[in-house]
Amino acid sequence: MPVLQADKVTETLRRGGSARVDADVPARFAPGDRVVTRNINPLGHTRLPRYARGRQGVIDRDHGVFIFPDTHANTGDPKPQHCYSVLFTARELWGADASPRDKIYIDLWDDHLDPADG
Amino acid sequence: MTGHDHQHDSSLSPTELRVKALESLLTEKGLVDPAALDILIETYENKVGPRNGARVVARAWTDPDYKKRLLEDGSSAIAELGYTGRQGEDMVVLENTPSVHNLVVCTLCSCYPWPVLGLPPVWYKAAPYRSRAVIDPRGVMAEFGLVLDDDVEVRVWDSTAELRYLVLPERPAGTDGMSEEALAELVTRDSMIGTGLALQPK
Repeated sequence: MPVLQADKVTETLRRGGSARVDADVPARFAPGDRVVTRNINPLGHTRLPRYARGRQGVIDRDHGVFIFPDTHANTGDPKPQHCYSVLFTARELWGADASPRDKIYIDLWDDHLDPADG
Repeated sequence: MTGHDHQHDSSLSPTELRVKALESLLTEKGLVDPAALDILIETYENKVGPRNGARVVARAWTDPDYKKRLLEDGSSAIAELGYTGRQGEDMVVLENTPSVHNLVVCTLCSCYPWPVLGLPPVWYKAAPYRSRAVIDPRGVMAEFGLVLDDDVEVRVWDSTAELRYLVLPERPAGTDGMSEEALAELVTRDSMIGTGLALQPK
């Protein structure tokens, strides 16, 4: 990896580097779909927080296709797929004592999610 | 505390010493250019910070077409004002209303929209905020002095992916006719994270 030189810093920061991928990968879900997160407990990197595993949510919006960090960080495989904001009620995550109004939105990928039945 | 009676000839903290040691090693091995490091630090200390985000918010408060673009495609609307780049490549703007209040956190690390807010404050990166913002957002906000009515819906956004979130706070009452520049002065960093509101005009 080349060393960042002083005369390249400003341009490098301004340009950035998106993890968005211009790939024609079909989305498994659409906004409004009910989903359940997988109960996975990998030893390596994952973006599915422990507090949201095995929980029911609703697809709020589809952000498009992004590199999948769970595989990219562990094996280098970018495995591009759709990333969504998934809406969970506070009660689904935290139980009956939580506010009936509050919501938690978590960005998750296709491989974190399954359709929720019923 | 006992058993630590020798004198250190340095006033640096253990963390500062560790950072200095790492910087020396990386420089000696040719992995970082010290001049590049100086420019990086200068950039985020003096050039890029929450005044950028405040200009975005003030523009949205005064220009309905801009606000519409901002909410539909945050990245390109923010880029119109020249704020682009690292940790702001894919921006999403969340609008606060009288019935909805948004709060941003990164429970996994410290993801933060650098081009509009600069580098995150220490508390944003600390475990207490990261762990409690999702389970007790109202309690966390109350500690910042922000108490919301029970009938306001709180939406917490956990930045677990490469999207970066900016809260568009409500425009305070009594600001009709204020210039965009004067309005930007009312927009605090915390109001764009969701731990505060925009300031009332004096």
